[in-house]
Amino acid sequence: MVTVTINVNGEKRTATVPPETTLLRLLRENFNLTGSKLGCDVGDCGACTVIVDGKPINSCLMLAAQADGRDVLTIEGLATMDRVHPIQKAFEDCASLQCGFCGPGVILSAKALLDEIPDPTVPEIRDALGGNLCRCTGYVKMIEAIQIAARNMRGEPLEVNR
Amino acid sequence: MDKKPKVAEKVSPAETVPREPSILRESVIAPLVAYPIEVVVPKARQQTPAVGQRATRLDGRLHGLGQTSYIDDLSFPGMLYAKIKRAGVASARIKSIDTKEAEAMPGVMAVVTGKDVPCNSFGPSLKDQPVLAYERVFHAGDGVAAVAAVTEQIAAEACEKIKVDYEVLTPVLDPLESLKLETPGVHAPAANIYQSKIIKKGDIEKGFAASDHIVEGHFRTQMVEHVPLEPHATIAMWDANGRVTIYSTLGRITLGRADVARTLGIPISRIRIVATIVGGNFGGKNEITTEPVLALLSKKTGRPVKSVFTRPDEFIASTTRHPLIMDYKTGVTKDGRIQARKIRLVLDGGAYCSWSETTLSKACILSAGPYNIENIFAEAHVVYTNKTMTGAMRGFGAPQVCFAYESHMDDIATLLNMDPLDIRLINAFNEGSISPTGQKLQSVVVKESLLRAAERFGWNGKGSTNAGAKLLAKENANGNTVRV
Amino acid sequence: MKHRGRGMACMWYPIGFTVAANPSSAVVKMDEDGTATLLTGTVETGQGSLTILAQIVAQELGIATDDVNVVSADTDSTPMDTGAIASRTTYVTGNAARLAAEKVKLMLFDVAAPLLGVKANQLEAKDHKIVVKGYPQRNMHIGDVANHARVVTGEPPIGSASFNPATVALDPETGQGKPFGTYVYATQIAEVDVDDETGDVEVIRIVASHDCGTPINPMLVEGQVEGGISMGVGFALQEEILFDSQGRQINPNLTNYIMPTSLDMPEVVVDIVDNYDPTGPFGAKGVGEPTLVPTAAAILNAIYNAVGVRITSLPATPEKVFAAIQAKRDAQPKQITA
Repeated sequence: MVTVTINVNGEKRTATVPPETTLLRLLRENFNLTGSKLGCDVGDCGACTVIVDGKPINSCLMLAAQADGRDVLTIEGLATMDRVHPIQKAFEDCASLQCGFCGPGVILSAKALLDEIPDPTVPEIRDALGGNLCRCTGYVKMIEAIQIAARNMRGEPLEVNR
Repeated sequence: MDKKPKVAEKVSPAETVPREPSILRESVIAPLVAYPIEVVVPKARQQTPAVGQRATRLDGRLHGLGQTSYIDDLSFPGMLYAKIKRAGVASARIKSIDTKEAEAMPGVMAVVTGKDVPCNSFGPSLKDQPVLAYERVFHAGDGVAAVAAVTEQIAAEACEKIKVDYEVLTPVLDPLESLKLETPGVHAPAANIYQSKIIKKGDIEKGFAASDHIVEGHFRTQMVEHVPLEPHATIAMWDANGRVTIYSTLGRITLGRADVARTLGIPISRIRIVATIVGGNFGGKNEITTEPVLALLSKKTGRPVKSVFTRPDEFIASTTRHPLIMDYKTGVTKDGRIQARKIRLVLDGGAYCSWSETTLSKACILSAGPYNIENIFAEAHVVYTNKTMTGAMRGFGAPQVCFAYESHMDDIATLLNMDPLDIRLINAFNEGSISPTGQKLQSVVVKESLLRAAERFGWNGKGSTNAGAKLLAKENANGNTVRV
Repeated sequence: MKHRGRGMACMWYPIGFTVAANPSSAVVKMDEDGTATLLTGTVETGQGSLTILAQIVAQELGIATDDVNVVSADTDSTPMDTGAIASRTTYVTGNAARLAAEKVKLMLFDVAAPLLGVKANQLEAKDHKIVVKGYPQRNMHIGDVANHARVVTGEPPIGSASFNPATVALDPETGQGKPFGTYVYATQIAEVDVDDETGDVEVIRIVASHDCGTPINPMLVEGQVEGGISMGVGFALQEEILFDSQGRQINPNLTNYIMPTSLDMPEVVVDIVDNYDPTGPFGAKGVGEPTLVPTAAAILNAIYNAVGVRITSLPATPEKVFAAIQAKRDAQPKQITA
């Protein structure tokens, strides 16, 4: 068993787990943060995407032990008690998610992108989502929503929901 | 004197239940999850009249916050995890199943096989699929045993320890081979062709005689899978009144309940099926998979039992799309009017019937395309093979036949030197047209959809990329989609 | 070298089950403040059916989408539903929901009529009010009527209904009959670039013109078209389950089963054809499955238009397309290249 302490969504959490436990299982089963999803468990689908030390990663490919001492941002940490995150708001307004299962992973990939490139082009957005599989939406309304969120985060006025 | 009566010493329940070795979980404290206090309801959701509004979804906000509960997100006290052992061989006779070593493993709470299922067959039409294969295996993804254990890992290891003795048989893999009478029946004594359909309208020989050209086309499509992002998931639990509650990703809970009642031999009123929001279905979650097995495991152990398909399970143990082999023969006049169409479809029906009857019917009915054709003969057959069972998948045969009849239409257009748009406009259904099955059609807008799409695309003239398309492309240079 | 091509495909697709009864039931109950609850046995699988059903119920009762709470998918508490399959939910479950809401509306009319001094058939429900037709100033808030029904009349408004499309069984010899209540129609046109040195096909743009009857929610219809097209692109060019000689799948995983990512999607233009089907709820039909039906055909016709090769089996992988291009070149008499 290994003892792991990570800073998840701004709060220090500790757990003692078998050494082969992945970060995904630690988050879902030990910390009850079920927003990150298990879609394939081998890093192909991106439903488990979380942000570790600023970088988006497939949490099913990272051991819990490797995350020891690091900062982890999950979907549960994006909104605050005051407001949803602009990306979440844009996704809601544009109906970018249908079954929603890939949603947390896609939104975190988008956040990682916008943190690095505040004004991304469509090819850059497609590239950032390249590791997140979605079967429902065709990605079209996600790309639209990310552009709207980017404008909002840059301080430009939000487009009216049409 | 008041002397208190002697009370029997209470035995603590914990001392009577044998302890199982289990990996202790940290006690769960409330997770840090934000519930934003201010809820802004988007305008479109507050408008009347409601129809036609671009209203945001009821579940949109919860999805984005990661607060939608899917079945794998649910957890119940004392819950066990189940794994299904898959055959790994496409066609075989099961000589014996030895579960002793698995049952003896620490952490394993129950093992079930096909003999534990009161009525071991189900299916939306033909009930030819076993809950757990017991005497015969018909495809490599057939489940032959199920284990419930305190962790998923122990359940998976226990599955490895179950020994199945197979008499391996030669699998039938090619649907055209399966079609031949001399090929041994996959489900012998039943024939390999397990359903057929014919549509006859008018007189095709007369139609071909009246044609200037006869064009043939042969097309094939492949087996594909739904790939819902959420794998199949089920949780089963009983109460002391003998009622079982099953959480399931099923898209058809009424049917699921009937199937569980039948396979377990219990009244429908004793079954409750609850579906949460499902992470994608596309047809692959429209029949039961592990529900009866989990109910049995839960009954045997007295605890809730959860099972989630692995991604490989999704491919090998859930339904797929029927591959089709399609032969088309069309008679057409030199000005592009279709006089007759003869079609033969062979559907690869996989190991079990599943939704093949519906797929066969739809494919056959739709196979001539949305065109006014007086003389049609369409025959369709579905055959068993020892491959993954083919079932309902978005379109039920329509995407396959559309690929055939529309490729075929363009081939005809090329032969006649006609614009693909024109030949379609000449032949397409109108309001009130009669379908291949003799049905009078209402609210028909094929031609409208052709013309509107052509205009939005900038389709102009034969085979040339035109100014309209270039202009449309320029307006959308930054890659945004265009709204109506 | 890349060659540009375009191809079209049109299609028809039915709503509901083939001949067999596929009923849906629904229950609508109205609360004392004019909001309502819909009970439905259908399952939300991502297509947005719960939102659509809320809109249908809201329309019938003259209230807003947000005023309708939808409870679904529990065999203990929701009425039976044949399920989320065959693109039937908007049409069949939608009709059931509308009929159930209509029963509630008529109960409200019976309660409001004497209060407004008119007959029940002189009333309509709109903008959260029960209104005398033609006299908008003569009205009562729907919540007041519902509350009155509960505390004075003693008849809390609740309605249940079921619906099943009318069909006629097919003759076993000739297949003649009426297998479905209604059909939808669509056309998709694809523009592709085919690289004649690799066989790679890039889908640049797809224009999709879809009929769904009345679009209950155009934004969700677009979502279905875009999603269907992505499945169609995979079906046309990438996806395939492969078996070995012993009948075992070779690629049962997402590493080797190739399906569209955000990088594979074309630009999508969605057009909804104006239409109204009198047998559907407020004229609506359905759209879930039709969206992927014509995509592969349109793409494959575009490949033919681009490089003159007819691929007759799916998927049109780069290897297949390249082999076909080579075969065509080899078959042609030698020419001086342009």
